[in-house]
Amino acid sequence: MKVSKSWLKELVELKISIDEVEKLLPLRTIGTKEITENFIELDMKGYNRADLLSMRGVAREVAAITDSEIKFTEVPHKDYVWVEQSLPELKVEVEDDKLCPIYCVAKIEGLKVGGSPKDWVKKLEDCGIRSINNIADLTNLMMLEYGQTMHSFDAAKVADETMIVRLAKEGEQFETLDGKNRILTSEDLLITDPKGILSLSGIMGGKDSEITEDTDSILLEVAIFDPVSIRKTGQRLGLHSEASKRIQHGLTRKGLFQALDAAIKMYQDLGGKLTALTIVGETEDQIKKVPLTLEKTNSLIGVDLSKTEVEDFLKKLNFEMEEVEEGRWVVTPPYYRLDIEIEEDLIEETARMYGYEKIPAKELAEELPEKIDQSLFDLIYNTKKSLVDLGLTEIQSYSFYSTKVLGALGFDESNKENIIRVANPISSETEYLREFIWPNLVEVIEKNLKQGYGDIAIFEVGKVYLPPSTSLRGSDSDRGNLPIESYRLAIALMNSSDNPVKELNTIFSLGANLFHPPGVQVEKGGLMKELKTLFHPTRFATVKLADKVIGGLAEVHPRLLNHFGIDKKVAILEISIERPN
Amino acid sequence: MRDKLSEILAEYKLKIQEAQTLSELDTVFLALFGKSGELTLLPREFSKLPKDDLKNIGPLFNKVKQELEKAIDQQRNQVRETSYQKLADEDFELDSKTEIKIRTGHLHPLTQFEKKIADLFSKLDFQQYDAPHIDTDYNVYEVLNIPKDSPARDLQDTFYIDEKNMPKIDDKWILRGHTSNSEVRFMKEHNPPHRMMLIGRCFRYENLDARHEHTFDQFEIVYIDKGVSMANLQYLSEYFLKSVFGEEIKARLRTKYYPQVEPGGGIDALCIFCKGAGCKVCGWVGWLEIGGCGMIHPVALKNGGLDSDEYSGLAWGISPERMAMLIYGIEDIRLFRSGDLKFLQSL
Repeated sequence: MKVSKSWLKELVELKISIDEVEKLLPLRTIGTKEITENFIELDMKGYNRADLLSMRGVAREVAAITDSEIKFTEVPHKDYVWVEQSLPELKVEVEDDKLCPIYCVAKIEGLKVGGSPKDWVKKLEDCGIRSINNIADLTNLMMLEYGQTMHSFDAAKVADETMIVRLAKEGEQFETLDGKNRILTSEDLLITDPKGILSLSGIMGGKDSEITEDTDSILLEVAIFDPVSIRKTGQRLGLHSEASKRIQHGLTRKGLFQALDAAIKMYQDLGGKLTALTIVGETEDQIKKVPLTLEKTNSLIGVDLSKTEVEDFLKKLNFEMEEVEEGRWVVTPPYYRLDIEIEEDLIEETARMYGYEKIPAKELAEELPEKIDQSLFDLIYNTKKSLVDLGLTEIQSYSFYSTKVLGALGFDESNKENIIRVANPISSETEYLREFIWPNLVEVIEKNLKQGYGDIAIFEVGKVYLPPSTSLRGSDSDRGNLPIESYRLAIALMNSSDNPVKELNTIFSLGANLFHPPGVQVEKGGLMKELKTLFHPTRFATVKLADKVIGGLAEVHPRLLNHFGIDKKVAILEISIERPN
Repeated sequence: MRDKLSEILAEYKLKIQEAQTLSELDTVFLALFGKSGELTLLPREFSKLPKDDLKNIGPLFNKVKQELEKAIDQQRNQVRETSYQKLADEDFELDSKTEIKIRTGHLHPLTQFEKKIADLFSKLDFQQYDAPHIDTDYNVYEVLNIPKDSPARDLQDTFYIDEKNMPKIDDKWILRGHTSNSEVRFMKEHNPPHRMMLIGRCFRYENLDARHEHTFDQFEIVYIDKGVSMANLQYLSEYFLKSVFGEEIKARLRTKYYPQVEPGGGIDALCIFCKGAGCKVCGWVGWLEIGGCGMIHPVALKNGGLDSDEYSGLAWGISPERMAMLIYGIEDIRLFRSGDLKFLQSL
C-alpha cells in the first residue's frame, strides 16, 4: 500500500512531523518498503491488517500511534444518501450468498465522462494508480480511501439492467479489460447479465461493459466477495489487482456503506443522479467480543502495566473496553479490525502501543529442559572437523541434481521416476532431488578445474532424498511414512595421480578413526550392480560398520567424468551418517 | 575445388581411423581446424571461384567439415571406450599407507557460523533437533496456524513435490519453506519445559540473484515454559548480538507479522558498521534487520499438546547466510552453494 503523504495530512492532524511518522511506523505498526517525498509504501506482503489497505485505516492507525486526532468522521446510517429516498430497484440475483455475502448496485444517470480534477490525479498517482477518467478514477479513489473495491459498468451495455452473481461453467470464456481471453473453471465467480459475462468478480471487468467516452449512466457495483474464491481465481489466472488484494484481506459491511455513500455523493457532485439502488444480503457486520486479562497481558509481554495503561492503549485504537471484573475485560474491536480474534491479538496491540523496544530483557527461567540425544549433531560436526584437519575443504551443494549431473548419471525419461521430482521447479536445474551427494561434488571439481585448480580434495555432509519404494533405509521410525531423507558424507578427490582411491582410502581411514566409533572397515568389491556403469570396474570397495554396509568408495568411471570434461582421475566416497546406537 | 575437398575428406578420414590415442586425434584435429589447418585456410581460396561454383562449393565445404568433425568425435569415443576396456586390468590395493598430501582444510563459512551460534545457545541449555526437508503442507504450515489460501501464504512461495512416486496422502508433499515444521513435532516428542534449536536447510520458489536463494539455512530456537514472555525475546536477541558482534551492539524488537506467532516481532541490531550513526549498509537508519521472532501462537501450542493458559513459548530465528554475509562482507548469497574453492578457501 502506497500511502500518499499529502492525503494522510488531510485525514490526520499530525502532532509530529511526517519524518517522525516514517520512523515510528516500522516500530509500532508495519515495515516500510519505499519512502519518497510523495508516498510511504507499507510492506503489506502476507500481512493480515486489512484496514491498512485504506487511507482512512492508515490515518486511524497513525493517529493512534502518534497521539494525534483524525480529521474525518463517519457518516451515520441515517445520513446515507439513499435512506430518505424511495428508489426503484434493479434486478439482482445472487446464486450463493457464501461467495457473495452482500451485493449493492446503484444506478447513476446524467454523467459526463471527462478528465479528473488535479487533486484526484495527484492522490491516485501518489498511491501508485494511473488516472483514467473521472468515472473510473472516482471508484479508485473510494477504494484507496475506504479500502472498499467498486466497479462501474456502462449501464447501457448491461442487458435488462440485471446483474447475476454466479459461478462460471467449466470452460466458459471471457475477455477481460486487458484484452485477454480467459478460460474459466467452475470455481470462478462471475458477474453476468442475462446475455453474457460482465466481469470476473472482484478481479477484472470485461471489455464489453467498459466505460467509454459516450457513457452517461453507470451501474456502480459495491460488494463483498469470498476471499478464498477470489484468491484461487487470481492465482490461477495470474491476475493480482489492487481490488483483489483488498478482497482477499477482507472487507466489512460498515466500510462498504461508508464508501458507497461517499461515492454516490461524489458522483452527484459530478452532476450525476442516483435513480435506482439494490442491496442484497446481510447488512450488519458480526460483532466480535474478545476476552482480555491484565495478568496475561503482563505475563506475555513481560512488563508491569497498570489497568489504565492497557485501557488507554486499546482505546486509542478504538477498541471498546468493558471491565467485567477486576483486571478482566471484554473487548470489542472496531469493525475494521478483522485481524483481531483472540486474546493474544489484543496483547500484541497493547505491546506495540507500549513499544516493543521498551520491553526489558529477562533471563530464561532456572528450570532446565530434559536432556536430548545430541550425538547425531556431534557426529556431523566431528566428521567435518576431522576432514578439515586432514586438509579437505567443505562444500555445500544444492539438494537438487543439475541437468548436467542427471545426464552424466544416465537419467532419462525411462528412469527419472526413481528419484523425487519437484512438481513446480524454477527451472530444470531444480527439478530432481539428489539421491547421492558425490555427483554434485564431481560437478564442483569440474567448475574448479576450469579455474585452474589441479588438486581438489572436498567433502560435503548433507541430506539425500529417496522415494520410499526404493529406499534402503526405512528404519527412521519417528518420521512415520515420510519419504526417507538421510544424512550422508561424501568425499571427492582429484589429486592428479593415476590412482586417487589410494589416497582417499588413507584420508578416510584416518578420518574415520577420528569421527566414527571403532569398527569401520573398507572391503574390496561389493558394488551394487546398478552403479557399475558409474565406477571403475575394479577400483571400488564397500564401507562397513559392524558388518552393516554403510556406503562405498570408488574411482569414478572416466566415461562419467568425460561428461564434465574432466580428464583426470577422480575418487569418491559416500557413506551414511547415522545416529550412533 | 571439388576434388580438393574430396581429397581432404578421404585423406583425413583415414588418418582419423588410424589414430589410436586421444593425442593423435588432437594432432589430426589441429591439422584440420587449427589456426593454419587445412579446412581453416581453404575458404580463403573461395574468392577466386566463379560465382556459380561457389554456390555449390559452400554447402559441400560445410558437409565435409561436419563429416570430419563427427568422425573425430566418434573416434575419440572409440579410443576412450577401448581404453575403458583396459580399466579392468588396472590394479587395486587397499592399503591405507599412502601418504596424504599436505593441504589446508576449510570449514564452509555457514558451518563455521552455525557452530558458533549452536555453541552460544547450548550454553543456555538449548539442544539441537532435526526435522524433515520433505514434509506435508499440514506439518509445515497449517499446524502452525497458517491455513491454506490465507494471504500469509504469499510470504513463502512453495516447492511442491510430484506425487507420482510418493506415498498417497490427503495433503500435498512440499519442500519446507522454514524450519518451523520442527516446532509441533518437538512439543509432541518431549516434555516441557522446552529449549530446542534447529539449524537446517529450507527451500522457497525464488529466482536466484545476489540477494535471493531458493536454498538457504535457517537458525531457529524455541523456548516454552510457564511464564515465557517477550522480555525473554529481548534477552535472547541481546545475548546473541553481544556475543557475536560485541557488547556495543544493541538489540531492538519491532512489530512484525508472522502468522505462526502472536505477538510477532522483528529483530533489529544496531548497525554493526556505523554503530547507529547511519551508513550505506543500513540504509541510513542505524539499524539492521536480522531476524524474526514472536510468541508461539496458541493454535500451535495446542497442536503440540500444550494449554496456552498454562504454557507460553517463543520462537526466535535468524538467517545464517545474511549473518555470515555481514560478518565476512560477502556480497552474493549464491556463493555459499557455488562450490567455488576460491571463495570457500578464502574464509
